[in-house]
Amino acid sequence: MLKKLFLLSVLLLGPLYVAAEVVLTASTDKTALTLDDEITLTVQLSGVTGNIVMPQLPSLPAFNVYSRETEQSVINNQAVYLFRYTMLPRFVGQAEIGPVKFTYKNQTYKTDPITIRIYRDPQSVPVKQHAKGAPVTKLEIDPGLPPLEADLLRQSYAQSGAPFFLIAAVSDSTPYVNESFQLAVRFYYSQAFYDAPYKKPTVSNIFMEELGQTDGTQKIGNTLYRYNEQRYQLIAPAAGPATIGPASITYQTGRSALSAFDRLFGGAAVSEEHTQTSKPITLLVKDLPPGKPNSFYGAVGDNYSLSAQVTPRNVEVGEAINVAVTVKGDGSLKSSQDLSLPAVDGFKVYPAASTSGDLPVKNGIPQSYKTFKSVFVPAASGIYILPSIKWSYFSPKTKQYKTLLTQPVQLTVTPSTKTENVYNFSPNSPAGGGFQTLGSDIHYLKTSYAPTSNILARCSQYGIVNVIALILVAIMVFFASIGKKSLAQKKAYTQAKTRLKKATNGQAIADTLSHYLQQKLKISTGSLPLKDVAAALSRKGVTPATVQQFSALWQKLDTARFAPEAWGAQNALELRQQARLLLKQLEDETK
Amino acid sequence: MKRRILFLLFSVCWLPLAAQDILSPAEEAYRQGRFSQALGLYETALKNHPNDPFVYYNIGNCYFKMGSKGLAAANYYRAFRLAPRDKDIRHNLSLVLASSGDRFIPAGVPTVLHQAFYSLSYDELRGLTSIVFWCFCVLLIGWLLKRKGFRLVVLSAFVLALCAGWLYWRHTLQQTPLAVVAVPVAEIRSGPGTNFPASANLTQGHLVIIEDGKDNWQEVIVQSQGVKGWIEQSALEKI
Repeated sequence: MLKKLFLLSVLLLGPLYVAAEVVLTASTDKTALTLDDEITLTVQLSGVTGNIVMPQLPSLPAFNVYSRETEQSVINNQAVYLFRYTMLPRFVGQAEIGPVKFTYKNQTYKTDPITIRIYRDPQSVPVKQHAKGAPVTKLEIDPGLPPLEADLLRQSYAQSGAPFFLIAAVSDSTPYVNESFQLAVRFYYSQAFYDAPYKKPTVSNIFMEELGQTDGTQKIGNTLYRYNEQRYQLIAPAAGPATIGPASITYQTGRSALSAFDRLFGGAAVSEEHTQTSKPITLLVKDLPPGKPNSFYGAVGDNYSLSAQVTPRNVEVGEAINVAVTVKGDGSLKSSQDLSLPAVDGFKVYPAASTSGDLPVKNGIPQSYKTFKSVFVPAASGIYILPSIKWSYFSPKTKQYKTLLTQPVQLTVTPSTKTENVYNFSPNSPAGGGFQTLGSDIHYLKTSYAPTSNILARCSQYGIVNVIALILVAIMVFFASIGKKSLAQKKAYTQAKTRLKKATNGQAIADTLSHYLQQKLKISTGSLPLKDVAAALSRKGVTPATVQQFSALWQKLDTARFAPEAWGAQNALELRQQARLLLKQLEDETK
Repeated sequence: MKRRILFLLFSVCWLPLAAQDILSPAEEAYRQGRFSQALGLYETALKNHPNDPFVYYNIGNCYFKMGSKGLAAANYYRAFRLAPRDKDIRHNLSLVLASSGDRFIPAGVPTVLHQAFYSLSYDELRGLTSIVFWCFCVLLIGWLLKRKGFRLVVLSAFVLALCAGWLYWRHTLQQTPLAVVAVPVAEIRSGPGTNFPASANLTQGHLVIIEDGKDNWQEVIVQSQGVKGWIEQSALEKI
């Protein structure tokens, strides 16, 4: 039962599908004209593949066909053929363009007939329904349409009615610095034209790159327009205003003051030159917000992806490892800076070289890629980790910086099996000698704790010993200098010398000597005879020779004291000199 | 009571061994490339052995392998202050300083002189000075008592003066507040705030002398470059 239903549906729906596949339509640019005018019959064919034959025109007794054109374009991935016939009327009255036939896969398709009125007097021709610059169609734009397409649609409807017009629109009028956006310039035409040199717009504060051109058709009101579109990719390098000047196109139309008959039979066609220009566009380029990550290299856009390719991952010392990091995403990555790859200990890293290019358009947005290639050469064997590589970009959609990361990669480096080692990363290392420096690294761990402090370090902990030693020294100094002898004894010699300098007679010298002996040696000379004084000196440790000198001097002094007239000034000086020498000897011998 | 004493003795005997046991798993983790785990273990070991130069050295190694050269330099320097004769510590410190453009041995100073100056640790130098001082005191007391050996007293006084000068110099260096840049790049500004313009960048691992501080900013001198300025405190690791 199910099989029968399936077969029935195939039989019923099959022809419908085939009939719906091929579309053949015929239209004219006007339905009323004068004998001096011309009319264009346009036959549109779509839904056919492979080699096709020309449509078969009906008999046209009321017209002379003097021009044939064929155009092919692709709309929605479907080939569309346009056959355009320019015709001159021959008779006044009503004429009919019969069905145009087209045979495809043994099936014949026909168009509807078109009735044309031909007048002699131009005033008799009815006024055209649409005047230039007066659009009649109410526009309803799909909110989901991209801004660029919506703006083009809005402008085209605003200009509808004119047979030719040129419009320009951008996808974003306030882009960020380095953000990629698009400009589209469209030339709409509903009539034939010739020789149309195009002049692209001039720009300021913008880098402009052509993306290519496309053709298409668009029905605005009752008029079918064809258009030629030129697309550009734009990038603004600096914040501030940017301008896109007007684009222009200059074209020739075939209007002529001569009659159609003259043109048909040898009359020279006189063409008219027209120029259409688009409106200039002013943009405001926004600066990127603060907070750029260290891994930001200037890319602005969305839908980026980051991948790293490391080959090979198992190498010998000195063999090259190729590291390629690729970024893909919206817009152009050409202006972004090169990625700096992380340094890996034990590897010689050769600087990255970048390549960039375009990828197929995705959802109407041009795509591009940038690849950073670098070579890592290991200097020593071991297992290494190539750390994650960071790459940041600014997303205009979220107005935030985003960071992409690659996965860490483990690299296994085995010792070189080559007999000839040619790897030398130290420019100053001497050649030969059987030793080559491969690189430098930190020394290995300490596997134990530090040894305990040595004797020197331990001595520093006994600060109290320093204090004790200092106190001992102080005590010793005290005993040595003050404790054994009285202050008077200490000063006796000094005082004696001072007094001796002032002594001018024997009495004064004798008193000085007596005072010294009293203070220093505790010997009283006043109450003791000379013999006892000498004995006391001997007990104090004075040598016998000095004692003898003392005795002799003391006798002289006695004489000088009791017979001063017998001693002159000269003798007093001699006595003083002898007393000074004696004092020094006594001081030395009684220390 | 006896049991308690025995238990206490047992615990005291095993304590050093238990602490030593941390080093083995830490070394194992380090060998397998698990540097952050090794770092955690060494930091635990440091709590049990404060001021152990070898533990500081190992911590520096972990930081170096993790890519934090600034923190590595700080720990190597701590280890160097405690054990200045150790060749491994000297090598790693000079390597990490060289990677950031600094010099371990100041320019113009002969290596032999630098090694001689740092041939003793600060504690050892203090101990040596104490011993020389004690000798001087003994000789002085002997001379005061017996009036003999005056030349030895003079000689010991000279040696004591040398040691005291050396110790004073080392003490001055020991007390100088040092820090290293611990972030990848630190900006040196002309004042303590982001409203002052940045005059230079300093990569991590650079050694600086701290002069002053205000809020979260430190005034530093970069001796290798002859530059003075302000750096955020969070960018520095004090030694």
